Order: sequence, then C-alpha cells, then structure tokens
Amino acid sequence: MSSRTNSPAGPVAWAFWMRSLGEVTRVRGALIGTSIAPLIFLLGTSGQFGKLVGLPGFPTDSYLSWIVPLCCLQGAGFAGAAAGANLARDIEQGWFDRLLVAPVARPLLVLGPVLGAITRSMIPVTLVLVVGVLIGADVTGGVGGIVALYAASAGFCTVAALWGIAMAVHFRTQQAGPLMQMGVFLGVFLSTAYTPQPLLKGWLEDVARINPVSHVLELGRQATVSGIDASLAHTWPGLASLAGMGLVFGALALFGLRRMGR
Amino acid sequence: MSTALHGGVLVIAVAAREARVVAALGRRALSVQFRRAQLLMPTFVLPLLLLAVIASGTSAGRNLKDFPDVSSYLGFVVAGTLLQGALLAGLTAGIALASDIEGGFFDRLLAAPVRRSSLVFGRLAGTLGLAVLQMTWFLLVALLFGASYPGGVLGAAGAAVLAALTAVGIGGLACAIAIRTGSMNLMQSIFPLVFVLLFTAPAFFPRDLLTPTLHDLSAYNPLTYVVEGARGLLQDDAGLGDPWLGLAAAVGLAIFSTALATLALRDRARRT
Repeated sequence: MSSRTNSPAGPVAWAFWMRSLGEVTRVRGALIGTSIAPLIFLLGTSGQFGKLVGLPGFPTDSYLSWIVPLCCLQGAGFAGAAAGANLARDIEQGWFDRLLVAPVARPLLVLGPVLGAITRSMIPVTLVLVVGVLIGADVTGGVGGIVALYAASAGFCTVAALWGIAMAVHFRTQQAGPLMQMGVFLGVFLSTAYTPQPLLKGWLEDVARINPVSHVLELGRQATVSGIDASLAHTWPGLASLAGMGLVFGALALFGLRRMGR
Repeated sequence: MSTALHGGVLVIAVAAREARVVAALGRRALSVQFRRAQLLMPTFVLPLLLLAVIASGTSAGRNLKDFPDVSSYLGFVVAGTLLQGALLAGLTAGIALASDIEGGFFDRLLAAPVRRSSLVFGRLAGTLGLAVLQMTWFLLVALLFGASYPGGVLGAAGAAVLAALTAVGIGGLACAIAIRTGSMNLMQSIFPLVFVLLFTAPAFFPRDLLTPTLHDLSAYNPLTYVVEGARGLLQDDAGLGDPWLGLAAAVGLAIFSTALATLALRDRARRT
C-alpha cells in the first residue's frame, strides 16, 4: 500500500492544480461563459426586481447591493461545477485511468481540480464585485465584509466542485454536466436569493429556511448589505454550512473515487 | 390561356414539393431533438424551475404601489416563462443546426435538389413544433400549481401562439449564426447572451416597475411587446399589453430573422 502512495503530496497536488488551471489557456473562451453569465444576471435581475427594496422589511435600499453576493456565489458555483465536467471528460477519454494507477493518494486527485476551480472562480467573483460597485452597489462591510464575501465564494466553489466530482466519478460521463449545473442552480435559487426570509411566501419560505446556502449568502452579504452587519453572528452559520456541505460532498466524491478501478 | 394554366399548375406542384420538404425536415428536426433528451431538458425544465423560484421568491412585489391588480401572481409571471421557453427553443434550433454542419449532414442537404430557403423553413418548422409543445406544457404545469388565466382557453392559446412565433424568430437568428460560423461550441457559449434579451424585457415584472434605465431600454426590445401581449391575453386585460402589438413584434422578428438565415445560407452555399 505504501508503495502506491509514496509520491510526495505537495508537488503532486501542485501539479494537478497547475494542470487544472491550464484549462483556462488551453480551452479558448473557457472563462467567458462562467464570467459573463453572472454579470448578465446581476444587471438583469437588479433591473427587473430593483423596486422590491421598497417593501417593508427589506434590509437595504439598494437591490444591487442585495444581489451582488448572490451573483458572486453563482459565478463561483458554476466554476466549481466545471471541475466536475472536466473530470468527467478526463474519465471518458481514459486519462483518469492512468492517474488511478499512479503511486499517489487518491484524495490528491480531487484536491488539484478543487484548487484549480477555486482559483478560476476568483475571476467571475471579482468581476461581479467590481462591476457591481461601479454601477452603484455599496460596500458597507468594509475589508472584513469583502473577506467574508470571498470566503463564502471560495467555500461555495469548493462545495460545488466536490458535488461535480462526486457526480463525475459516479456517472463517468460528460452527459452528467447538466446535473452538476442544476445542483448549483437549485442550491443557489432555493434560498433567500431574491428577497430576505421574512418576505418569502409559500413553499420557498420553508425550503429557504432549511437550505444551508441561505446561511452562505448571509455570510457573503456582510460585504454589501447595510442591514447585515459584519459580525460573528452572521459569519458562523455560513462557515458551518460550508463545512457541512463540504464534508458530505467530499465524502461522496472520495467514496466514488475509491470504487473506481475496483 | 393554356400556358397560364400550365404555369399555375407548375407553381402549385413546386410549392407542394417544397412543402413536403419543409414538413420532412421539420419532422426530422423534432425527432432528432427528442432522441437527444439532454438537449431538451434545459428547454422544458429550466424555465419552470425559474418560474417556481420567481413566483415564490418575488410574489411580495404584488404589494408594491404600482403593481397591477391581477388574479394570480403565477398567472402574471408565466408570460415571462413562455418568453424564456421561446428563447431556449430558438437557441436549441441553432445548436442542432451547428451539430448538423459539424457532422457533415448539412452539406448533403445543400447538394439536394431543393430550394435553399426550404432548408431554413424546415428547421424553423421543427422549432415551431417544439415551441408549441413547450408552451402547452408550461401553461398546463402553471395551471396545476395555481395560476389562473381569466382570458380562458382562447387567451392561453393566443399567448402560446405569440411565444411560438417568437421562438421561430429567435430560431432564425440562431440559425443565421450557426450557418455563418458552423460551430457548436460557439452556439453553446452564446447561451448566457440569450438572457440579455430576456432581462431587457419586462419578463417577470411590469414595465413601470423596472429601473429607469431598463425601462427606457426595454422599449427597443421587440420581446417587450410579445411578453406584454401574452400577459394581456392570459389576464384578459388590454391594460397589461396589446396582443396585436405583440403579434406584430413576433411576426416582424420571425420574418427578419428568417430572411437573415436564408441570406446566410446562400452565402455559405456560394462559398462551399
């Protein structure tokens, strides 16, 4: 067993990380979709539903400020799901079989793509934040709030990447791509995406309450929403939700990985 | 006299043959799309998911001062779902055509003794069929979940027709891009741009409640008149939108984009 995993972990993880980042330069336009989609969503949604801030109980008077963290999470989530789609392609093309017989610990095979996804996700997150601020979003949370927003985005990207990888090692086909994206879509939108919890109606009110992504959004909204001040009370639930989702999807990914090649 | 009669018969025979070509190509376009279910899932499921989330997540907007008095919020926002379905059905037509070009099937069609325009009409006939199925599905699912249509069956059918014609218009634009580029990758990457058209129209909220910039911008988007017309028909309230204006916008877009696709095809045929 030790002979199978005798490669040093650091350089191996680094090599997989760099390979994953190479997608950006190797595949032309790889970042365009994941960067433009959240921007379009930011501009479109704030234009459509901007007047909702006039409702009693809305914690900010700028809908743009409310929606910026959502779009950051959306961009990060899709960047994470892309890690699963890329892995599915590697499995289909046989490249991943070669990695499975390499003398490296299997968790490292997952770590590289996840790190690559987190790095890539910083591009749409930063783009959305910068454009959002330029067109009028407030940065009420200061540096601490911005750190919380980036932590929420990186954490959600990790969760989405682990979900995508779990789907990739289970289905072993690129056709599972829509399923990976759908998971991110549902996670983000079945939350307090458009309006705060007290203004939600019907079934979504209950679903958003138990959806851990609502807490992750609250973590990120410390950056831009004046009614959600930067505090530990708005930080810990989000971090705990990210840790919980990461553990579940990470375990699923590793379990699937262990079954591969048996 | 007999020459004129002979000419008339000839024209009818040619038209009948081309109609058969269009019908056959339309049937093929539909059956190929149903064979590849992964292409259809976004067009049938994604708009309904967004409808569910928006209807529940933003329904508090009914309490805003200028929100029109409607019988059901779901019935109000479903017009936006029809529009989204039309955009996705149109884009799917372009992706499928690009796939045919990449796979070489389209070159064989170009060598066939049929009018070039029939190749475009055939593809768009498939889009029309797909859109009719989609719109019926969306309206029925929304009805099951509590939407009300004071416009009745006629109003719902009218709204579905408007949306299906819009799908043809968007399909024409997508086909023109597919014919010009022949790239499936490019067609897939313009997916987010489709949402620009959706969000610059009052798809889910009344035009008077859009932000000022978007309000001004939406006047130049033909889909604004389609979605408002569909809303007017579904809610039986001309104050929400003029159906005739919607019809003019949908038909105008369809004619313009079909001409664009036909021109692109002629250009491609000259080059190959």
